[in-house]
Amino acid sequence: MLMNLQFFSHHKGGGSTSNGRDSAGRRLGTKRADGQPVKGGMIIYRQRGTHIYPGANVGRGNDDTLFALTDGVVRFERKGRDKRQVSVYPAADAE
Amino acid sequence: MIKVTIKLNSKTGVEQFKMIGHADSGPYGQDIVCAAASVLAINTINSVEQIVGVKPETSEDSENGGLLTAKFSSDHSRDQLLQMQAILRSFVIGMNDVANNYSQFIKVNIQE
Repeated sequence: MLMNLQFFSHHKGGGSTSNGRDSAGRRLGTKRADGQPVKGGMIIYRQRGTHIYPGANVGRGNDDTLFALTDGVVRFERKGRDKRQVSVYPAADAE
Repeated sequence: MIKVTIKLNSKTGVEQFKMIGHADSGPYGQDIVCAAASVLAINTINSVEQIVGVKPETSEDSENGGLLTAKFSSDHSRDQLLQMQAILRSFVIGMNDVANNYSQFIKVNIQE
């Protein structure tokens, strides 16, 4: 008799699932940290919806990406009671 | 759950064993109780054939697994019977040990 260690085991073909697919990660999140210098046009934060709002000198793209409008230093700040925003202050008055 | 039924003749010893069911102690390829029961049963059948020179009467469901019957006739020489029963008693000991330690996956029933 053929030696089969799986003889008393349920066979593999026990039905299949239709799961197992996923899209690639979108690499969202912070691209420039607080206090980091940026140039106009540089992306600061990638997001879906507005986890973080655009503050001074920061623009919002149509995919909600936040980017610098001028050269300066990045500052993450509070916005109201429970929201956050990011601003870019020119290097001189970023202190 | 694998159910093992062993038929014992008080004079000649083990006459037959029947095993039915799946252990389900783990996913395919990692079902250790299935592997233990499989190797004990198949090795016993092959050992009787190769050592004793007697081919047991077997029936199995090799397509789906989980069903194996083996019958051992007793009209052989005294020496052959001694060898055969030694192998079969070893099978019973091994199967009982596995059943004692993995009782939720395998059950042994000895019929006299």
